[in-house]
Amino acid sequence: MRKIKIDKYHIYELFSPLLGVLAAIIVLLIIGVAVGENPAATLKAIYKFTMSTSGRLATVFSVAIPLFISGLAVSIAFRAGVFNIGVEGQYFIGGLVGALAGIYLPLPRIIHIPVVAICAMLGGALWALIPAMLKIGKGVHEVITTIMFNNIALALANYLVNGPLSGRGEVSLEAQTHHIRETAQFGKLNHWFRALGWNIPNHVFMDYSLIIAIIMGILVWLLLFRLRYGFEIRAVGTSTDVSEYAGIRVKRIQLGAFLTSGAIAGLIGLQEIFAIRGFYTYEIAAGLGFDGIAIALIGRNSPLGVIFSSILFAFLTQAGYGLQLYTSVPLAITFVISGVMILFIVVINEIVTRYIRAQRKKEAA
Amino acid sequence: MTLLKMEEITKVFPGVRANDGVTFDLQAGEIHALVGENGAGKTTLMNILYGLYKPDSGTIYLRDKPIIIKNPRDAINQGIGMVHQHFMLVPVFSVLENIVLGKETHTAGVLQFQKPSEEIEAIMQANGLFVDLNARVEDIPVGLQQRVEILKILYRGAETLVFDEPTAVLTPQEVDDLFKTFRMMKEQGKGIIFISHKLDEVLALADRITVIRRGKVVQTLERKEATKPLIAELMVGKPVLLKVEKKPPSPGRVVLEVKDLTMTSAQGHRILDNISLNVRAGEIYGIAGVEGNGQTELIRAIAYKTKLESGDVLLEGDSILHWDVRTRRENGIGHIPEDRRRYGLLLPFSLADNLVLGQHHREPFVKGPQWVDSARVRSYARETIKAYDVRTPSEMTPANALSGGNQQKAIIAREMNFEPIVLVAAQPTRGVDIGATEFVYQQLIAARDKGKAVLLISADLDEILSLSDRIGVMFKGKIIHEFSQGEATKEKVGLYMTGEKESA
Repeated sequence: MRKIKIDKYHIYELFSPLLGVLAAIIVLLIIGVAVGENPAATLKAIYKFTMSTSGRLATVFSVAIPLFISGLAVSIAFRAGVFNIGVEGQYFIGGLVGALAGIYLPLPRIIHIPVVAICAMLGGALWALIPAMLKIGKGVHEVITTIMFNNIALALANYLVNGPLSGRGEVSLEAQTHHIRETAQFGKLNHWFRALGWNIPNHVFMDYSLIIAIIMGILVWLLLFRLRYGFEIRAVGTSTDVSEYAGIRVKRIQLGAFLTSGAIAGLIGLQEIFAIRGFYTYEIAAGLGFDGIAIALIGRNSPLGVIFSSILFAFLTQAGYGLQLYTSVPLAITFVISGVMILFIVVINEIVTRYIRAQRKKEAA
Repeated sequence: MTLLKMEEITKVFPGVRANDGVTFDLQAGEIHALVGENGAGKTTLMNILYGLYKPDSGTIYLRDKPIIIKNPRDAINQGIGMVHQHFMLVPVFSVLENIVLGKETHTAGVLQFQKPSEEIEAIMQANGLFVDLNARVEDIPVGLQQRVEILKILYRGAETLVFDEPTAVLTPQEVDDLFKTFRMMKEQGKGIIFISHKLDEVLALADRITVIRRGKVVQTLERKEATKPLIAELMVGKPVLLKVEKKPPSPGRVVLEVKDLTMTSAQGHRILDNISLNVRAGEIYGIAGVEGNGQTELIRAIAYKTKLESGDVLLEGDSILHWDVRTRRENGIGHIPEDRRRYGLLLPFSLADNLVLGQHHREPFVKGPQWVDSARVRSYARETIKAYDVRTPSEMTPANALSGGNQQKAIIAREMNFEPIVLVAAQPTRGVDIGATEFVYQQLIAARDKGKAVLLISADLDEILSLSDRIGVMFKGKIIHEFSQGEATKEKVGLYMTGEKESA
């Protein structure tokens, strides 16, 4: 009896984001009508670009990989009550450090790939270190410092790629580093999926970064829900007063969560650098760190929720391209839609959470 | 004249009949006390009156005319005012600004303070509610802040005033002043609804007493027929032992020693002034005193790592000043915090998680250096819940779903089960009902009888007097007098609490 009830609430919780998505789709269709596009055409355009072929569908998942890692990075900091807005800068630096290990370290493949991943994590953590210490030691608000560090990271990457680390001319005249060694490049996993019966075409990037994402997802879940350190992270994020009362070393936990967040952030760019481009440039996709904030929020800072929300975000991105290609809905509107969707999901989540709390209270009364 | 009547009010929340056909009336010039355990339905009833909830059925009559109250604004317009347990004041505003907030007088958008302040002065005069109108609310003590709340609703022309446990935060002196104000308002023909857990106050003040249990009115008593045991019995449905039964203490060695602690606030006030005390194993040392005389800081110095100017705190002879909270807990300092919702529980976390909090980081709840043994945590929680009779659907229920009394039970169960050497209990019965209060008393005495040193800090003098084996009166950061068991009476302790007697 007791078990069934708890499951019931879990189901409510799981379905509440779907309601938000549904509400946002309705808004999208209304906007579509407003710009003179009939709802069927709008839906068809979305369907065509996201689900019509296995390649399209796989692309959604491929796009979701860095988004998932980003959401994971932000959420672990959120869990400890730390607002790591610096994921953006941390993945630029993490990617750079990883790339350096990929370019300059001569290692056999089996070691090289883990080494670049670890280097990327160290790079990300390093970039989080100063804002983290300023927060813990001096109380300087991390939102301000991390935003500044984002700018510094970009400028630094720009300088290094144009200057000391430049490999310009090797392949193209664009500013970029030397090529990453063969042994460090991320291969594709498409043939695995094909063996499982999912025919992913070769142009889709289902690469080693998927493995990294899965490993990090499992590790973060274990950390948060099975390890004492994660318990303390969640406690600190819930109430620093109670945590202090209970003897939890609040500052140490926040520092640790901040650095862990930075380390995970360091992995975000790996797909693009090691699988897609094969070199590092400051022109790798920007903005993933900020997407991670919304993804973490919608995913309620849990690894499972972040799987859902990162796929949702990837879907939205792809759907946006679809709308741009096949309909007259402007791209800007698709950004509006993602905004509206986040809003709906957050609001509906909140309502459901309150409802569940009230129900539980009644049960206990 | 009947000022207000609530007739056959029913409010059902899914699964609970919070109010079940409640009929309640208030005469002009009457103080009507509403008593009942936590969760009995008093607050629901008052929230209906104040327009926060809509009743499922039933009617509210004001001066015999049926009215509908949709929201607090309606209530205020109908002359119903409420002083909440937690004050609704803007700390950085002045007293005057707080009172006029929401009913500002202005000419062409410019705020006028002259006329309102004259009106307010008149209200102060009439009700004995004196406050400096220009003081900032955050700078004045809680007792005065409450006056600001009362002035606020009187300024809005309230005829019916609801007070939700107004004395919980007050000193005995302030309580007396408040009661004078009540009587003055009563003489002006206002009606007062007074919610309280303290039966002495209810008996001292009320003209009639309505007892609510499980959403129903058990009985409305006239003052002359009411007695303390009768009310208590009606409240809980069975006779309760209000008198605390305890064996004579057998104090052992000194376990906790506070030596010459001094602490100065950032503003330069002496908060702790060379305070010294010691607590023995197997005794309850009670600290009486008006709140704000350094009790909070004393608690922090013992239970937390705090910056102090001088002095030392010793646990079984070892200085603990450089220990952090975890080390203190590991070495046997247990602590029931003053404000349980702020400090005591991780509200969204399960009861099980909360019951191990503080020792969650070590054996047997953690296997190896890091792995949380959740099966062990849950089974431990189930045993604890059973042993301490915490009412909950399951150990996985989040703490915020429990009633206040059960939350406090959970905290006490947790701290007791960790078998501390010293237990620092701060305001352990604040805002909990009689049933839970009884439980808390039993537990504190049980802790003492098991040889633990209990330091009890409470604003409730009755509690201090009935539980403590020794009593120290704290005034302006020091213990100004220590009573041994038996020689303390309410009057004697009261004199020291207010600083009228100051010899050590």
